[in-house]
Amino acid sequence: MKPILSICCLILLSQATIANADVRAPQRLQSGKVVLRTNLDVVPEANGSQARLQISQSDLQALRAALDGSPGTPAVAAGFSPSPGRTIVAGMMLFLAISFTGVLLARSRRGRTQKTVAGLVLIAAVVGAATVITRGNAGPPPGYWSWRHLSKNLAESQPTSGSLAIEVVPDDPNKPSRIKLVIPVEQKKTTGE
Amino acid sequence: MQDVVDLKLGARWRAVQEPRVRLDVFVVVLVACAVASAVLASWLPLQVSIVTVFLFAGPHNWFELRYFLMRLPVRFGRSRNFFITAFTGLGFLTLTYISLPLLYRTASLTEETWLTIVAGWNTLLLFWLALLTRLRSRQKRLSDWSWTVPVALTLAALNWLRPDLFSLAIVYIHPLVAFWFLDRHLQRTRPDWLRAYRRCLLLLPLLLGAMVWQLSRTAQLPDDNGLFWRITQHSGAELLPQVSSHLLVSVHLFLEMLHYAVWIVALPLIGASVKFWDVKKVPLARHPKGFPKLIAAMLIVAIAIVVALWLGFSTDYATTRDVYFTIAIAHVLAEAPFLLRML
Repeated sequence: MKPILSICCLILLSQATIANADVRAPQRLQSGKVVLRTNLDVVPEANGSQARLQISQSDLQALRAALDGSPGTPAVAAGFSPSPGRTIVAGMMLFLAISFTGVLLARSRRGRTQKTVAGLVLIAAVVGAATVITRGNAGPPPGYWSWRHLSKNLAESQPTSGSLAIEVVPDDPNKPSRIKLVIPVEQKKTTGE
Repeated sequence: MQDVVDLKLGARWRAVQEPRVRLDVFVVVLVACAVASAVLASWLPLQVSIVTVFLFAGPHNWFELRYFLMRLPVRFGRSRNFFITAFTGLGFLTLTYISLPLLYRTASLTEETWLTIVAGWNTLLLFWLALLTRLRSRQKRLSDWSWTVPVALTLAALNWLRPDLFSLAIVYIHPLVAFWFLDRHLQRTRPDWLRAYRRCLLLLPLLLGAMVWQLSRTAQLPDDNGLFWRITQHSGAELLPQVSSHLLVSVHLFLEMLHYAVWIVALPLIGASVKFWDVKKVPLARHPKGFPKLIAAMLIVAIAIVVALWLGFSTDYATTRDVYFTIAIAHVLAEAPFLLRML
């Protein structure tokens, strides 16, 4: 009975990853096409006269390359989305892994119950791992934890560093063009009392 | 038969070699090295990384080479296929790995093509390891290592999903292999020390946890010059932008420092490389049918390479670091067959 309960728990856990994946995703104002992933430092400047946006030469070139539709540098945003070809090869490898495991289990001298338990546990583990990997972006996005303390750091005149995705959004003819920095913040719980 | 020879060798070491230090001294040195490495790596990661690689990268390779020569049998015997596979794979994988940066610079590859090439190399590495494991398991008839095949295939699948992260994982896992070597060596030569050593290993996750706790919210390290940028990239700062580069560099440096400490301090301390300058201590040189001149020449050339490495670091640190970490894949690969021989 215990093995069956363990399997059910494992399968439920792997499904829970999918179900909970969107729980903490922040609300986005407007989403565009991500053309570059880099890092951003928000640095308070004492006695500063105006806000300044400093961008490195290499980032600017990468941004230009991305906007031009050229491949850019491979280091930038490398491999964030697996290509169909690589996914097919990965799937074949996974298929072979599970097949080998099945053969090994069938040829092992253990009892039928143990084989079944081991097989199901393996499948649950593989499916769970694959779910976590393929849906890895569904949880808190990169940089979420870095930006949580931005307001506190700004109040203390401390810098904050985190990752930044540069998105290109379509022009709005009804609004003047301006650069917008969207930062994920920690939502405070309201108790209603 | 080879296992019997190994056992005899281990027994001989136990009988002949007096412990150079007591167990309590060994434990204190291990703990002190671990704590000092964690503190230094967390405090000044970039500066300490530069100094550590400069001082210890070459010498630790020399100690590894000598250790591997100590473990190499005079005649391969039943292990012939194992060693042929090991050395052929080692040569092929090293050459292809070294050619990758050259290929990247000369050919205009798309990002996807480049990732596919990296994934292909990683897959060859995994298949080579699986084949070596298979050959080794045939020699150990009491052990069933069939499970390594599906594990290798699963790792290959994960590699094809994110080859860049898989390569980064190798960077972080490789330093830990030294602990496995030390464990196996203690089991053969000082089995009564093994329990204390494994308890010391429990300190590792505690120190890593403390480092993550302390450094996860720290600001990114400055990477505005070429050298600092290389160090942060080597630790995966660009692949994991959501993680503080300070944490990444510190953790990687901490593991590297422990890796160097095992090869340069711990193994010689317990007598694995006692009188490491004495070529006659190497079985391959001492044996009547051995190759004393060849072994001596290899070790002298290796010393010359270490000195050349120091000169290179002194004149152009950044370029030498790049070259070293590319060529050093050979020692990463070489650890696999020798570790398998000790299992």
